[in-house]
Amino acid sequence: MDREKKPPHLFFHVPPQYFYKRWLFEHVYEIIEHTADVGIRATGKNMEEAFAEAARGMFAIITNGSTIESKVERHITIAHTGDMELLVVDWLSELLYIHDVEHLVFGDFSVSIDEKNLTATARGETYDRKKHGYGVEIKAVTYHILEIQTHKKGVTINILFDI
Amino acid sequence: MWNGPLNKIGPYRYEIPKTYRGIKNNITMRVPAVIYANDQMISSVKKDNAPEQVAAVATLQGIVGRAMAMPDIHWGYGFPIGGVAATDAEEGVISPGGVGFDINCGVRLVRTNLTAGDLDRNKIKQLVDELFKNVPSGVGSSARVKLSRAQLDEVLEMGARWAVENGYGWEEDLEFLEENGCMESADAGHVSDKAKERGKVQVGSLGAGNHFLEIQRVAEIFDPEAARVYGVEKDQIVVMIHTGSRGCGHQICTDHLRVLEEAVRKYNIRLPDRQLACAPVKSREGESYFKAMACAANFAWANRQMIVDWVRQSFENVLGTGAEELDMHIVYDVCHNIAKLEEHEVDGEKRMLYVHRKGATRSFGPKRKEIPQKYASIGQPVLIPGDMGTESYLLKGTDTAEETFGSTCHGAGRVMSRQAAKRQWRGEEIARKLQQKGIYAHAASWSVMAEESPDAYKDVSMVVDTAHGAGLSLKVARMVPLGVVKG
Repeated sequence: MDREKKPPHLFFHVPPQYFYKRWLFEHVYEIIEHTADVGIRATGKNMEEAFAEAARGMFAIITNGSTIESKVERHITIAHTGDMELLVVDWLSELLYIHDVEHLVFGDFSVSIDEKNLTATARGETYDRKKHGYGVEIKAVTYHILEIQTHKKGVTINILFDI
Repeated sequence: MWNGPLNKIGPYRYEIPKTYRGIKNNITMRVPAVIYANDQMISSVKKDNAPEQVAAVATLQGIVGRAMAMPDIHWGYGFPIGGVAATDAEEGVISPGGVGFDINCGVRLVRTNLTAGDLDRNKIKQLVDELFKNVPSGVGSSARVKLSRAQLDEVLEMGARWAVENGYGWEEDLEFLEENGCMESADAGHVSDKAKERGKVQVGSLGAGNHFLEIQRVAEIFDPEAARVYGVEKDQIVVMIHTGSRGCGHQICTDHLRVLEEAVRKYNIRLPDRQLACAPVKSREGESYFKAMACAANFAWANRQMIVDWVRQSFENVLGTGAEELDMHIVYDVCHNIAKLEEHEVDGEKRMLYVHRKGATRSFGPKRKEIPQKYASIGQPVLIPGDMGTESYLLKGTDTAEETFGSTCHGAGRVMSRQAAKRQWRGEEIARKLQQKGIYAHAASWSVMAEESPDAYKDVSMVVDTAHGAGLSLKVARMVPLGVVKG
């Protein structure tokens, strides 16, 4: 992550809230509330970063925002059919699957996307109820409110989970 | 606020006429839609977009009769929660959005011959703590038993029978489960490796969220004759289990939803909402979903069957009396997220239909052949769980419910988001309040206690009274919790 290396003048171009979140908590996702469910709005300076933030947001919901250390790595490849919305659902579903089967939680992601594939490295550790607390069990990633917006500051993904 | 037309067409019945075109003018209803509600509830029903979703369901190819919503209607993915729709078994479509992610989420009720007087607070606490120890619960709760792939395939195709044959519970239990705990159409060949891996590590676990295990006291009997036949009486201790198909079912839904997303394009199906993704029942994709969904349903029945065995063991351990001696028989087991191939009469003609019930419970009356012989004179027991610390209901199915293809409500439904609930209450407080009401709760975490606070839910009694008033299911008994195990 090269966030710390950004030139200081960039601060004036971002809303104060964004600045605060980015530098205090190192993340740029927000939790979206919904009566029965919960979602995230994840922003990154490009598609890859937005995908990584969406994943960070999802694990923040699962672990109630606790710190996740990078002790293990998983390499992930997902076929890209050309539909970015389907790709983000597949990406988060894949992480959810690994979480469920291997009891891992992830906090750091490097993502790259080309025409054919998404390839990523997810870093994290074994879920420990004592250490990571207890957030919410996410059943699935849904297509509701699913939206990927490209704008001046980068990319924003809105996505809702079934819990 | 939804502002479409809702015409009262009878007591507890509101119709969205077939002429309604939708907020975005993109809905062409094939049949009218009906929402079951009382006059008081209808304003809150309009608050979220759920009525629009019922109208959207009415656009599905091959839909028969009417698109319907039960009194606990609220917004869901695709279908609203509380949604019921039947599609023709030849010409219709099948939609995972009409079933939900937690396939065969359901409820099971176990009776005992204990009365409230037999268990003091201390015994209840011991029982709850023992249940908490024996039944894995909470986020990422994993199985006590690790299955091989071959064993898991058996679970997926045999359902509760697999559990009984492997020593979980009694042979006679199967008679008192909807479908006898197994959908024959299951074919594990249509279930992905991922779903199987998730299943392997989670079979025999309660999970989290709104799932629970409760020791309840029968507080009130409304229908003494039906209660007698069901083996339930006032002040009796009963145990309620509310859980589903866990990650296995969620993965099956995720996988097939993805396939059907593309099938919609392939078959040129026009939908007002992406989440109504579906395929013709006779198509490869439609058949594959139905076979896989049946596997998830079977997984859930096996899951609840294993939990029942641990519930019986827990009682034996704490009370020092055998489960058979304690008369711990199953009253019934219902699923409330499912699609089933059933025969129903439509305009005087018997037809085979795929009945989608999403957050709706089957409610078959005495006429139906599917219900256990023992209950043939009364109708099928319908189990409606309340939410943590409130109350639950035992009802009976009716022949009137044929107008909803044998369906009724399933529970309360949230009125407040989990985040909002966490801000408003602290889990410790909720536990103390429950304690004051004489309820002992053991949860995996305090935040779950806050999220699942009873005040975050609609009043289950109003939902049940509406279903009763409409004749879809009739009240038999009301149960209140004494002890709660929460995931």
